[in-house]
Amino acid sequence: MSTDTTDPARHRNGNRRRDRGRTPDPERERHLARRRAQRTRALRPWLLLAPALAVLAVLLLWPLLRVVLLSFQDYGLRQIYTGTSNYTGLDNYRTLLGDSALWSTVLPNTVVFAVVCVALTVITGTLVALLLQRLGTVWRVICSTVIMMAWAMPAVTGTYVWIWIFDPLNGIVSGGLDSLGLIEPRETNWFTDRWSFYAIATLNVVHHGFPFVAITVFAGLLTIPRELPEAALMDGANAWQRFWKITVPTIKPVFMVVTILSTIWDFKVFAQIYLMPGGSGSNPDIFNLGVWSYHQSFVKNQYGMGSAIAVLLTLLLLAITVAYIRALFKERDEL
Amino acid sequence: MATTPTPAPKTPPAPAPKTAAGTAGGRARRAGPALAVAALLAFSLFPVYWMVSSAFDPGAGTRGASVLPSGFTLDHFRYVLDTGDFTTFLANSALVGAGTVLLSGLLSLFAAVAVARFRFRMRTKVLVMILIVQMVPLEALVIPLFLQMSDLGMLNSLLGLTVVYLAFSLPFGIWTLRGFVAAVPREIEEAAYLDGCGWWRMFRSVLLPLVAPGLVATSIFAFIVAWNEFIFAFTFMQDDSKYTAAVGLHRFFGQYSTDWGAVMAGSTLITVPVLIFFVVVQRRLAGGLAAGAIK
Repeated sequence: MSTDTTDPARHRNGNRRRDRGRTPDPERERHLARRRAQRTRALRPWLLLAPALAVLAVLLLWPLLRVVLLSFQDYGLRQIYTGTSNYTGLDNYRTLLGDSALWSTVLPNTVVFAVVCVALTVITGTLVALLLQRLGTVWRVICSTVIMMAWAMPAVTGTYVWIWIFDPLNGIVSGGLDSLGLIEPRETNWFTDRWSFYAIATLNVVHHGFPFVAITVFAGLLTIPRELPEAALMDGANAWQRFWKITVPTIKPVFMVVTILSTIWDFKVFAQIYLMPGGSGSNPDIFNLGVWSYHQSFVKNQYGMGSAIAVLLTLLLLAITVAYIRALFKERDEL
Repeated sequence: MATTPTPAPKTPPAPAPKTAAGTAGGRARRAGPALAVAALLAFSLFPVYWMVSSAFDPGAGTRGASVLPSGFTLDHFRYVLDTGDFTTFLANSALVGAGTVLLSGLLSLFAAVAVARFRFRMRTKVLVMILIVQMVPLEALVIPLFLQMSDLGMLNSLLGLTVVYLAFSLPFGIWTLRGFVAAVPREIEEAAYLDGCGWWRMFRSVLLPLVAPGLVATSIFAFIVAWNEFIFAFTFMQDDSKYTAAVGLHRFFGQYSTDWGAVMAGSTLITVPVLIFFVVVQRRLAGGLAAGAIK
């Protein structure tokens, strides 16, 4: 709205200069008043945005820049105490990209885990949303209350509960399988093996993440006009066809948003890994990028190296987000 | 717990059976949701149940596992509340949570109105920037934010932690509320102007009530960020008295053996406020999400 005012404004400026020194005429007064109003109107969005943008700039953008700067330094305890900086160019990245652990362990752990979690979260959430839609009021309220509970459980306590469930000594799964004679009593520790470790982490993350998808997709389902699926039903479309031909295209933006957010969340899962046995560094097999970065920084005091790993994770997410945004823009011309 | 529930009392407009085999299909159609509901309830509830049950179970951690608790005791809770400052930790979490909810609700509503109601140059750029900063992996920022908070003298301070959580919850808040503000019909606002309302008056008495459900959703998100966050609180808070509950709980976690009764009692104390919060606001949340989506 404000962009197309530049021309008239210039025009009025010219008028004003010519009018200088004359008796105030109502025409000019009106022009000035309108210009003032236009200026406040142009300023208002920025005033409204200012506090939020200031917080984001100081606490997200500047630190983001700083982590990039740190990643080019050999920044350790000495640098913290002396306050000096020691730029070493691309050394950290060279070491990082030359580390075989990155390619064989950390990157696969991060990417495969995230992809599996996102897929399972979105599929489970969508199925639950479709279920909620089919249920009557009473069961719908019961089910949505219960999935709220799964959502409400903090990641930290949720993680402790999953560890307790799979505890090798007294956990209910070990106990159950033991009494069925399926495992050697008290000898199977799922937390030491990379695959079973991440299987438990996946359960944890999907359990915590699917309610958001379910509630959001359910809200989206409510927006689909009743006539659409009814018409398709008349035409003899089965449930599968109705879902893919009507539901998915109609609420595609909703699916895009929940997928973007799940992807972003699942790539940077941290506490759920860090708090599990071995997750804080004693078992390098289960490092993901986030945990590795934290370990390098706060355990080994190699902040520069930790920052380089953090930058790598950020770049990975940036690439994914850009891909999503382009797809989103293709869907809707305007955000 | 998850006994097979009776089939949903009311299935939505039952599609007329197309063939004679319709009855069998109909039974399957009714049994399907019942099974799905049972599976859903089991998967969602079991961890919550197991946490609470272990917290009250005198044998938690020492006996072999069974689904039913072996008795009832408050000893785990007594132990957790008497050991150290767990009540202080809970109070710290509540303080940080309340601060984050209030500030992020206010700031994200302002920003959402700006991007949803005004067309200004850079609008799209601002929106994309907000989406991108939300993508920034927060643990990537632990290192620089640690140094930043140290520079600002806000390390080991609850206010510092609140401000950090505010930054984390703002992008989501702005994106969510943007939709809600955009869903308020312009005609209502214009009618308010015609009736002689000023912009602020319109904001307060027209826009605010209509986006209230969106604010509920934003508050939930902000509260959860603040209440659940572990890594920043773990890294920034150095005094025992400044720990949040999530960090304080970590202390009950032994290096070699863990008192699972105590850990589960502490976990229950942390989780229950969130559960109550969710159950209280859940109608408004669901209604709000729906209203925002429907327009």
